[in-house]
Amino acid sequence: MTAALLPDRLPWYLAGPALGLLVVGFFMMTNQPLGASGAYVETSRTLRRIPGAVSWRAFYFLGIAAGGFLAVILKEPGFVRRAGYDVLTSEADLGLSLPVAGVIIFVGAVIMGYGARLAGGCTSGHGICGTAQRSPASWTAMMSFMSAGVITTFIINRF
Amino acid sequence: MNRAMRINRTAKFNIVGLLFGAGFGFVLAAANLHEYTTIHNMLSLEEADVFLLMGSAIGVSLPLLWWLERSKARTALAGPLQLSRSKPNRRHVIGGAMFGMGWAISGTCPAPALVMLASGAGLAIVTVVGLFTGLELRDIQTRRAQVTVTTGDGEQREVVSAGR
Repeated sequence: MTAALLPDRLPWYLAGPALGLLVVGFFMMTNQPLGASGAYVETSRTLRRIPGAVSWRAFYFLGIAAGGFLAVILKEPGFVRRAGYDVLTSEADLGLSLPVAGVIIFVGAVIMGYGARLAGGCTSGHGICGTAQRSPASWTAMMSFMSAGVITTFIINRF
Repeated sequence: MNRAMRINRTAKFNIVGLLFGAGFGFVLAAANLHEYTTIHNMLSLEEADVFLLMGSAIGVSLPLLWWLERSKARTALAGPLQLSRSKPNRRHVIGGAMFGMGWAISGTCPAPALVMLASGAGLAIVTVVGLFTGLELRDIQTRRAQVTVTTGDGEQREVVSAGR
């Protein structure tokens, strides 16, 4: 067993500035925001061969998954780290059945996707790249999703 | 632009996309942002880490981009640096609120959902499919209404000589 190359959780004061530098670097390469919701849209358009699709975003999409996989492996040699939604499904915690958890997660994801497209960005797109461009629209969207996220979680925690 | 140059340009965008995507996914996973509990604890206001992470990311990128914009920097692949600053309107507020609701329910957002799936948490496939569905629903609606979609400041956008 080799030792883990990454700590269990990289502290925010390293991860945050690293993410900030990636945002700046990406703008300086491509003139585009390091967002995610738009990448979903362009990836799905590319796969469906819709004319005008930005096909390099599919590589970017794949890169996000690959980079995440690499970090997880470096943390835990042997690849055992896969908590994911265990909190929802394990008997020790909420103990939801798989179909129930699946429906809840799916509904949440559809609302999230629709909202992201309506607002024109997500946590990374508006929340970091848009705010860093000093976009009033992005600051507004971020205030809105932060408030809604906290309020909704407050309601969920009441159950 | 001839065919060979176009292919070369596409290849450059693909490589840059793959590398920066990987860097992005790596940082998200390293900071545990792909875990349901990280996002849930953040939105329960029990843990400040993710707020501080986002704040410090903005704290680094905002002044740098400002300076680069002022010094009329050129991007490597797509001409002069162009930042976009749209006026806020109703759809940013309503879309943002819906996004926040879904974020809280599914305990993850678009990029971390993808990383969660890559980390071996199989149930995240439901989130990824749900996201594709929700994004497409809005696109179907805009096509039906025949309104032109204005891209937000957080999404892939039209830039003069951008990578298409």
